[in-house]
Parts: sequence; structure tokens; C-alpha cells
Amino acid sequence: MFFSEKKNQFKTFSRRSFFLLIIKLILFFFVGLRLFNIQITQSEKYRTLSKNNRISLKIIFPKRGKITDRNNNTVAKNYDSYELYVIPEEVENLESVLLKLNKIVNIPFSKRKKIILLSRQVKKFEMIKILDNLSWKHLEQIEANMIDFPGIHLLLSSKRKYPFGENFSHILGYVSKPNKDELSLPYISSMPSLEIGKSGVEKHFNQLLIGKAGKREVEVNSIGREIREISKTESIEGGTLSLSIDLRLQRYVYEILKEHRSGSIVVMKVSTGEILSMTSVPSFDPNKIITIPNKKYWDTILKNELSPLTNRAVQGLYAPGSTFKMVVAIAALEKNIINSNFFVICEGKIEFGDKIYHCWKTKGHGKVDLTKGIVESCDCFFYELAKKIGIDNISIMAKEFGLGDLTGIEVPSEKNGIVPNKRWKKQQLNENWYAGETLITGIGQGYILATPLQLANMAAIIANKGKLIKPTLIKSKISNDISGTPNKLNISKDNFSKINIAMEKVVNNASGTAFRSRSNKNDYTFAGKTGTSQVKRITIEEREQEDFRKKEIEWKNKDHSLFVGYMPVNNPQYAASVVIEHGGSGASVAAPIAKKIFDKLYKLGI
Amino acid sequence: MIQKIYKINWLFIFIVIILASIGFIALYSAADSNFEPWARKQIIRFCVFFFLLFFIALVDIRVWYKYCYHIFILSLLLLLSVEIIGTFGFGAKRWIKFFGLSIQPSELIKVGLILFLARYYHDLRFQSIGRFRFLLLPVLVISFPFLLILIQPDLGTAIVYLFLGVIMMFLAGVRLWKFILSSIAGLSLIPLIWNYMLHDYQKRRLISFIDPESDPLGTGYHLIQSKIALGSGGIFGKGFLKGSQSYLDFLPEKQTDFIFTMIGEEFGFLGTIFIIILYMLMICICFYIAFRSFSNFGRLVSLGVATNLFINIFFNTSMVTGLMPVVGIPLPLLSYGGSAMLSVMISFGFLLNISAHSGQKNLEYD
Repeated sequence: MFFSEKKNQFKTFSRRSFFLLIIKLILFFFVGLRLFNIQITQSEKYRTLSKNNRISLKIIFPKRGKITDRNNNTVAKNYDSYELYVIPEEVENLESVLLKLNKIVNIPFSKRKKIILLSRQVKKFEMIKILDNLSWKHLEQIEANMIDFPGIHLLLSSKRKYPFGENFSHILGYVSKPNKDELSLPYISSMPSLEIGKSGVEKHFNQLLIGKAGKREVEVNSIGREIREISKTESIEGGTLSLSIDLRLQRYVYEILKEHRSGSIVVMKVSTGEILSMTSVPSFDPNKIITIPNKKYWDTILKNELSPLTNRAVQGLYAPGSTFKMVVAIAALEKNIINSNFFVICEGKIEFGDKIYHCWKTKGHGKVDLTKGIVESCDCFFYELAKKIGIDNISIMAKEFGLGDLTGIEVPSEKNGIVPNKRWKKQQLNENWYAGETLITGIGQGYILATPLQLANMAAIIANKGKLIKPTLIKSKISNDISGTPNKLNISKDNFSKINIAMEKVVNNASGTAFRSRSNKNDYTFAGKTGTSQVKRITIEEREQEDFRKKEIEWKNKDHSLFVGYMPVNNPQYAASVVIEHGGSGASVAAPIAKKIFDKLYKLGI
Repeated sequence: MIQKIYKINWLFIFIVIILASIGFIALYSAADSNFEPWARKQIIRFCVFFFLLFFIALVDIRVWYKYCYHIFILSLLLLLSVEIIGTFGFGAKRWIKFFGLSIQPSELIKVGLILFLARYYHDLRFQSIGRFRFLLLPVLVISFPFLLILIQPDLGTAIVYLFLGVIMMFLAGVRLWKFILSSIAGLSLIPLIWNYMLHDYQKRRLISFIDPESDPLGTGYHLIQSKIALGSGGIFGKGFLKGSQSYLDFLPEKQTDFIFTMIGEEFGFLGTIFIIILYMLMICICFYIAFRSFSNFGRLVSLGVATNLFINIFFNTSMVTGLMPVVGIPLPLLSYGGSAMLSVMISFGFLLNISAHSGQKNLEYD
């Protein structure tokens, strides 16, 4: 009995312990299998993870390339800015150190509080920025007392500076932190905190200016502290951008233009298309935009209804007015619609359909031929011409002169402008073309719109007798005046000569609209064409009142004042367009400005 | 006496020395090629405990048999004192100072439990084992310390303790359906334990086990880093002292709970599987000793030691390989830590005592 009990007990024990042993061995087998899986099957994956764990890539930001004018004057540069940092783990009492610092350079209470709070959140070896843009005075004092400031570090950083502020604002643009879309650009994606160009050539030439990032491969531990440096590649500074702009001319033009509320002037070299000056007012100071705090400055810019950020030279759209008449005249000559003997009798107005179309000179010009039509800017003559040529021929010719198309200038957001024709109107407005609209287009009014840059380009093509150029803001590498193999318009030189002579007379003939702005004949002569671009339609009643022109018209209803021209007459070197918004007539405002600019060009001899 | 020394299982001791030595090497590497702060201490402890092991092994088995309950009660008192010190505002502590050594009573009580249950079931007649009133005491000596350890909180040790007790009861012959019943009862207690007994960090650990990658810098971080270290070791390992994961502090608790990972990184799959095989061998020796023992007491002690060893090894290795939640269980002989080493060496002492007294049938002094 007792014996069998013992036997039973041993049997149970044996069975159960055997079962247990098997279970244990099976479980060991699973552990072994798991180890096999991790250490052999998936080893490659974990090896990569391990490497990433260990090696951290730190970017060394490149210095942004500088920008110069055509004579190597720096117009956008970097300056060294000192930033004050603290490393929490090196400071025993952060609050007292900050208080001591406060005696040298003002750190507001709220800022101190923020830094102390932050020091508790970040890793102890991470730098916390206290101040940036330290002045020299403060820098010296802090440097001298560095012993009192354990854990405080001065760090050099590179900041952008535009020495000529408002003079170059629209050309250069400014830099700022990239937004989400810009971060997808391949050349900055690795440097999300690097400032990049936001407008102007700073934006267009980002890739050139940014340079190449350097990198440091460092071994880090689990909390990201650097253990040692593995490799280092220095950054490469961005390339220098040489603009075609002449600093002296740019500043001179800006000084003249800023007398007016808004407008734009473009001056270019007719041989190469290099822009010597491009100005737009109202302007802004890019330095104030990029220096924090900038909120107040932004507010004033955004509140200004004249929108200073707009670069009117490429974004401002104006009816070209009488400056368009040369294009109409060339179209007529080329189509053999008129010859030298063709004339129109101007009686101050013509009737067409059931409407009356007025000439600016209510008394009329009498007998007007092509030259007189341009010199005295007779509207009736061009009404007749436009009627004969037709809108489609006018629009084809306008396109030949670069109107209605982007010039491809190296700043962002350039506008096309409008060169209307029948198809355009059908597509855009879903209306048929009225014959009367052809007449209006013939004097550069109505739907037609152009930028000041396009007008300067048009003047340059006329000065070149059809040789096409590409407007550019980049200094041409070729020093002589022939740039590559220029395209030429298929227009006869004779016809250009006729226009050239007429434009010369606009300025130099006593009857010319710009005669009062003529240059000193001993120095040089220039040619051009005035234009007045209607802003408000003048009613017949107003027109019939004899003194409507003398009336004080509200500024924003005043006409835009335009002038396009080139100099010198015999061997044209420069072309210019002047647009003064709501300036009044072209002859009274824009032409005298053009004269001043041409005088300056003569003196500078760029 | 000489016969006893002869009968001691020397193969087992040999394996113990090899494993402990691997532990020293790993600790030296973990401290970035330095004997401080871990390797030197561990070596000294091992040497001291090695003598303790022989002392326990060579003392007459009848002495130990006689004092089984005393040993258990002593370790229970130690555990209680830790609990009381903790409760009375000295902060949560798992250990007490003892001759300049910090000891976790929760480690010691595992040995106490083995001795207690072995003697209890040795004394009990086989028919009585199944009786309800004879179940009460074992259930009490398992559940009370279990709860004490759980609220320390030391989830890992508590689970090891519970498993150890249950498996020993199973080996003693308690009916299977009683286990099924009590596991159902245990499972029904889980919501209660979850809500009232577990600390937030323990809950987080359990949750992170289910989906460690979801929170790579939180609690799942340890597990991912552990797998990276093991995996990057490959077949042959990165080489001694060349484990970057541990050297750069990516491995948490690398000297204790994650020592196996460290070895795996430096010595690869061959290293880890070598260690697993050594452990398997040790457990097999425990079974060998158990079946050579003439007494029920001896058998239960041997398999209790084997089970304790196995649970620790299995939980630790499956924890660092991501088979189980990270609950903080040291790896016997390899992990740094005085109490775990002490507990393991004492248990080996009793195991070898069984081995040395395998012929002893009658355990009471006449």
C-alpha cells in the first residue's frame, strides 16, 4: 500500500518532469529561432539601422554669393553677425548669469523666463539662442567679461545686407526662410533653416547664390551628444552674380523717380539688351524686411495701396498710348498700305460708325503725313492708318516688337501684357471685335497693355533697326557690342529709317511734342516718342468744355505720362522707357525725365 | 566528505564558471574596456558566493531539510521589512543593506520558496496532496509574497516567483484541473490587477510590447534598440569591445537586463547560441540530478532550481529579442547585480547539495 503510493507519486513526478523538460527545450528552441531570425535573416536591416543610429550628419551652411553691379560695386553682401548662445549644462545658475548679462545688454524679463524654461526642455548640451545681431559695443563688453559668463557662447553667423536699400529693392529682392514649397527644391532641401531668395534676382538665381552645403559626419550617442567627428567637408560659398545694372545710373534714376508717387523707368543697352537701370516706385527697403523685428515694416508695406512690393518695370501694365504709334506706322509701311505721299487731313476728330473719335488737338493738325503724324502725335492720322491695316496686322506687328510676351527677364512674376486681336477678344471676353476698337488700338489705347520693360525693349528694337535683343539683368560677358548671332526682324531698313527720322524730330523739331526736352545739340541728340495713357474715359461733354484740360483732375484719374526713346540718334547706344503713373501728358512729365537720364548717360558713357 | 566532493556535479560547476566569466568579459566591455564600475565588483562577488555555494553543497542535507521553513520565513521577513521601510516614507526600495551588500529579498525568497515547497510536498502523503486544505498553505506562500513583490513594484520578479511556485506544485502532483481552475480565477483577476495594482509605467511597458515601433522614443525604444544591437551583430558579431550600440549608450540597462543583447552584438549569433546551449545543458544536468536523487525533497529542489533558472533565462532572452514585454528580469550569472547572483549561487548550492547527497533517503535525524 505504502509502497505503491510511493511508486504512483514517482510515476506522476516522472511524467510531469519529462513534460516540463520538453516544454523547456521547445521554448529554448523558439528563443534560438528568434535569435536566428534577428541576427542572421534580418541582420542587414538592423546593421543599417545601427549605422544610422550612430552617425549623424550635420550640415555646414554655405555663405550666400554676393551680387555686384556691372562695375563690381557690391549691392548685396553678407556681414558677420554675432549671436549669443547658452549651453545649459555648462551653467550652474542660469538665472544669475542672465541677470549679469542683462547689465551689459538688455534681455527683457519675458525673454529670460523663456530661456530658463527652454533650458529645462531641451537636451542639456544643446545651444539656446539668447540674442542675435549683437552690436560691437556689447560684443566687446561680453568678450572682455567672458570669465563671468560660463556657458555663454558667441557664434558667428552670416546675414544678408543690401547697402543701397530702396535703390535696388525690386531688382535684388530679399532673402528669408524657405516655405514648404521651396523646401522641395533640390539645392536647399538639406538646409531647411538656410535663408533663400524670395523675390528679384535673389530668387531667380537662388541656385547660383546658395552655394554648396558642407557636412560633418559625427558619431553621436543615444541622446544625440557628439562623441567624435568622423569626416568634414567644407561648404562652398555661392557664386558671385554680376548684374548689368550701373550703380551710378540706378541711384540717379531712383532719385529722380522717387519725386513722383508711382512709376517706373527702364534703361537698357540696345546692343546687348543689358538693363542698366530698372526702377520702380514706391520702393521698399529690403534690409528692414529681413531684420527682425520686421512686423511693423511689413504692416506699413501691406497697408500702402500703391503696393511697394510690386516691381512696376515688369509687373506694371499700362496702355502704351502714343508710344505705340511707331509700331502701327511700321505695320502700314511694311504692308505697303501707305507710301511717302500718303496723307490725312486732321480736323480734330473723325467719324466712324456712329461714333466720333477725337484727336488730342481739338483744332486739328491739318494735312498730316507719316512724319508729322509721329512728330506731332496726330491721333486722326493713326485712326485712318489703323482702319486701313486692320487689327490683326497691328497685333502681329506688335508681337514682333515683343509686346504681349514675356521678355524672360531674370526676376520672378513678370507679366505678359496684352496685345489684342479678334481671336483674343473672343477667347477672353467672348465678344466680337468692333471696328472702332481697331481705331483705339491704333493710338495705343483700349485693351492693349505693356510693361515699361517691354516698351524699352520696343524702343531698343526700333533703335537697332530691327535687330532683336533679349533684355537681361546679367552683365554681358562679351565686351564688344555684338552679342552672339542676333535675330533680326524682317522689316526693311528704309522703313525703320523713316520712323527713326520721325522720332528724332519728336524731340528736335520745334513742332515735336518733346521739343522742350531736347538735349544740347553740341553734346548729343536723342530720339523718342511721348505717350499719354488714358486712365479715365473723358466724356464728350467734358471734351466740349474748352477748359477741361486745365481743370484740376483728381490724381488717380489723371493720365499716365509715358516716354520711350533712344540715344544718340546717329549710333544708338541706349534705349529707355519712362512711365509716370497719373503724371499727366507724356510731353510735360515723362519726356523731361528721359532727357535728364540721357544727359546722365552721356556723361557716364557706360 | 571526500565522497561528497566527488559526487558533486563538476560539469555543472564548470559551466557556471564559464558563464560567469563570459559575464565578466561582457561587463568589462559594457564599461568601455574598464573593470569599473561593474566587472571588478562582479568578479569579487562571484568568488565570495562560490565559497558559499560549496558551503551549502557540503553541509549535511538533513540540516537544510530541517531548516527549510525557517529559511523561508527569514526571507519573507526580509521582504516584509523592505515593504515596511518603503511604506513609511523612505521611498520605494527593493533592497536592504546586509554586510555592506545591497540585497533584494525578492530574489532570496525564490530560494526560500523552493525549499519550502520541496519540504512541504516531501512530507505530505501522496493522497493528501489533492486535498483542499493541503492546498491552502502552498497557495498562501506563493500568493502573499507575489503580491508583496508586485506592489514594490517589481513586475518581473513577481511573475518569476508566481511561475516558480505554480510549476513546483505541478511537479509535486497537484491535479491538473486545479491548475486550470486557478488560471481561470487568475485571469479574472487581471482587470483588477490592471486597475489597482499596476503602476502607470508598467502599463505603458505592457502596451508598448504590443506595438513597440509606434513609439520609438518612448517605452518601445529599448526593445527596438535591443533588436538593432542583436541584429547588427550578425553571425560572428562586431568583435569584442566593438559593439557600438552599447558603447554609445543606445542600450538601456546594458549591464543588467540587456547584457545578452550586448553579448549578441559583440559575439553574434554564435555567441548567443553558445550561451543558450550552455544554459540548456545546465537545465539538463538539473534533471539528471533530480532523477538520481533518492528523495522526493531532492527531486523537487533540483527541478525547482532548474525551473527558477529556466524562467529567468527564458523571460530575459525573449524580452530582449522582443518575444515578451520588457519587464526587467536579469539573466542568471551574466547580469550585473549582487542579489541575483547571490540568489542563483545559493540555489546552485542546494542543487549540488542534492547531487552530493543523492543516496540519502531518510532526511530526518534519527
